[in-house]
Amino acid sequence: MASNGPYNYSYIFKYIIIGDMGVGKSCLLHQFTEKKFMADCPHTIGVEFGTRIIEVNGQKIKLQIWDTAGQERFRAVTRSYYRGAAGALMVYDITRRSTYNHLNSWLTDAKNLTNPNTVIFLIGNKSDMEAQRDVTYEEAKAFAEENGLTFMECSAKTGDNVEDAFLETARRIYQNIQDG
Amino acid sequence: MAESSPPKSATPPVSEPRVQPRHVETNPLKSKIDKLMSSKLANDEEFAVTVDFVQNLVPNVDEITERKLRQTIEDRELELNRLYLDNFEKISTQVQSFVDKIRNMNAICGDLTNRIQSNKEKTRDLLKRTAVLQNEKKQLIAKQAYINDFFNQYSLSPDEERALTGSPIDGTVSDLFFKALKRLQEISENVEETLKIDNENLPLVEISNATKSKLNTAYDVLYRSIQRECRLLNVEFLELKPVLYQSFEALQNKESLFKSALDEYATARRSHVVRAYIEALTKGGKSGIQKPIEHLSNEPLRYVSDMLAWIHQCVEVERELISALLKNCRADVINSHVRAILCTISEAVCQPLKLRVEQTLTRESNCVVLYRLSSLFLFYSKTFETTVSAESVLVRTLQDLHELASNMFFSAVSATVQRILSHMNVPDYDLLPVNAVNQTLLLLRDILESQSDGAFTAISDKKETYMKIFAHILDPLNQSIQLVCSNLHNHIDVAVYMLNCLNAIKSVIILYQYTDTKLEMIKAQIDANEDVLVSEQASLILTKTGLVEIYTKCLAHQPNQGPLSKISGMEAERISSAVSLFNAFLERPDGYQCNQVAKISSTRIRESIQVRTMDNVIRAYNVILTKIKNPDNLYPEVNMKTVEEIRWNLKKPVIYLTTQYKKI
Repeated sequence: MASNGPYNYSYIFKYIIIGDMGVGKSCLLHQFTEKKFMADCPHTIGVEFGTRIIEVNGQKIKLQIWDTAGQERFRAVTRSYYRGAAGALMVYDITRRSTYNHLNSWLTDAKNLTNPNTVIFLIGNKSDMEAQRDVTYEEAKAFAEENGLTFMECSAKTGDNVEDAFLETARRIYQNIQDG
Repeated sequence: MAESSPPKSATPPVSEPRVQPRHVETNPLKSKIDKLMSSKLANDEEFAVTVDFVQNLVPNVDEITERKLRQTIEDRELELNRLYLDNFEKISTQVQSFVDKIRNMNAICGDLTNRIQSNKEKTRDLLKRTAVLQNEKKQLIAKQAYINDFFNQYSLSPDEERALTGSPIDGTVSDLFFKALKRLQEISENVEETLKIDNENLPLVEISNATKSKLNTAYDVLYRSIQRECRLLNVEFLELKPVLYQSFEALQNKESLFKSALDEYATARRSHVVRAYIEALTKGGKSGIQKPIEHLSNEPLRYVSDMLAWIHQCVEVERELISALLKNCRADVINSHVRAILCTISEAVCQPLKLRVEQTLTRESNCVVLYRLSSLFLFYSKTFETTVSAESVLVRTLQDLHELASNMFFSAVSATVQRILSHMNVPDYDLLPVNAVNQTLLLLRDILESQSDGAFTAISDKKETYMKIFAHILDPLNQSIQLVCSNLHNHIDVAVYMLNCLNAIKSVIILYQYTDTKLEMIKAQIDANEDVLVSEQASLILTKTGLVEIYTKCLAHQPNQGPLSKISGMEAERISSAVSLFNAFLERPDGYQCNQVAKISSTRIRESIQVRTMDNVIRAYNVILTKIKNPDNLYPEVNMKTVEEIRWNLKKPVIYLTTQYKKI
């Protein structure tokens, strides 16, 4: 959505963060909006909401980010929040293989419930825990390429790549808009 | 060589000056020669230098030059003197001209001094007057400063006055307006402060009144500006114009105007929200890429969930906007108004939501769906309680819908259960629960299973809900089973069928929470039905072993009736034969069970029945044994096993019994 006025930002993009329970979705959101790491993060109930204004190609853009609960029992509730999302951040935990294996199911949901031009971004979180790595960068990259997704490994704890992930998603959405 | 001319020396010292007079000729000559002889010319430095000089003057020494030496020297001297004279003349001219110049300057200075003096005389007057004027100027400046200060404190500049009326084109306010307003407020404060000290000051009172009325006018202008701006807000927009939140900041002290302004805002947003909601429902999202929510109306759970999620997102966005609008206001102002505004705005979606939900609910007959819907409403009503407020129309609507869905759920349950139970028929020969029972239990399980949905985290009093569900399902089921049982003729069949049904019910509900009370009731019923079988089997055993009459008589026997052995039918022989029959039974305890016991589906119940049967038998036996062993009854030594021996005997057979049943 664009505006014509001399306002502080020119677009609003809606993001949704999805993925298994405990991969770090809420922590990623908190790191991005507050630039801090929440060490004792409780399980999300339903959905939570955060915002931040960023800049892409000289344009100021407001991000409205919906952080969903990963627990299976909330799927029915959280499914309703995919509607109208410009960007979907799909998160897995590089130290737990099961969260990577479930990506197909999350991807199906995302593809079915969002628009065809929604940008889906794959994030491998907890990149700071190299010693317990259970999923290699290469295989995740291959998976992302197969499915036409952008991919990045991040760490909500150190902040590594977190900004970039959100910003790159916004860049792609902006590009899609420019291309019509 | 000496000459007769006036005395000259042979070797000519140039320094030889004057001609000496003749009369001192001999002495002087001699003295001269003596002098010459005594003067060591070779050692005389001066002489050496002089000789050097002369040598330079005369390049080659010959006779002519020697004679002319003096002349040469004199010529030279002359020449030098002339040179000197020339140079000196030059200097003299310069000095002379310098002196002239100085004289001129002196003359000019003298002139100037005279003129200054005369001017001084002339201007002495002017200076006096200038000093006076400067003084006056200082005073005037001081006065002006004072007056300016006064005006600063107590009035506005013309520019500021103009700014306070808003833009002449459309009455909008700008930065200048706010600056002017601030100044006006400062002035007002100043005036009031001063009035406190000096409240008789009429001009001040006048100023105070003027200021107050100016303020009111300014606030009106501000309010109308806000009104105009707010009316433009009934669309989707990205961010508020800065002038808006500045306006609200400026207005926050005027309670009633502020409230009205907020009402304007809320009204504008309301109309936007309801329009956006309808659009999302019927046309889909921005640029029509997203499908309209109504397309899901045949999937009630997704339909309602999507609608509620849309409202949730909308409320969050509105909350951000109103917080931005009031961001420059004081915290207490923000806190007291934000939720009220959200209440008003969110009210707009309640009617469309309610309409669609009611349509959906009335079309829905599936119990599980209705149950899940009811919890979904509760979940969202709790979510909105924190952001909007528990008294808001939105929350109350959701609570109403929760109640409606809940009631419809229970009606549906009752209707479904009734329908199922109307097909309840008499059990088969196998005495297993009929289809209707299983279907009912399946319904119960589906309902209880659906509670794993996250929306159920909102339900606080789960126990009550469970109780209600059980009441709606298990009570009718129980009654129905009882009714059917009343048509069975054999009371043993009844007991067995009841046990099987009770067991089926227990196995369903035992997996869930809050079932303790119900389980207790079921256990009591199971026990009661077990009792039937236990007493049936126990009597059978006692009868077959001939102990039943003996047992009865033992029970009835009172000591005052005399020794038991004397009572007819209780003679020692009778007892012995019965005991041997009993012992024979102990060897092979099978064959004394009811056929129906095999039809009991629960192993545990079967085992329990056997154990209790034996307990019963042993107790009866013990009664007899006690009476026999009692010397008062005058029995001879009858060989009766002790209770412990019997128990030991029975241990093996108990296992044997169950393995036998397993075959069946």
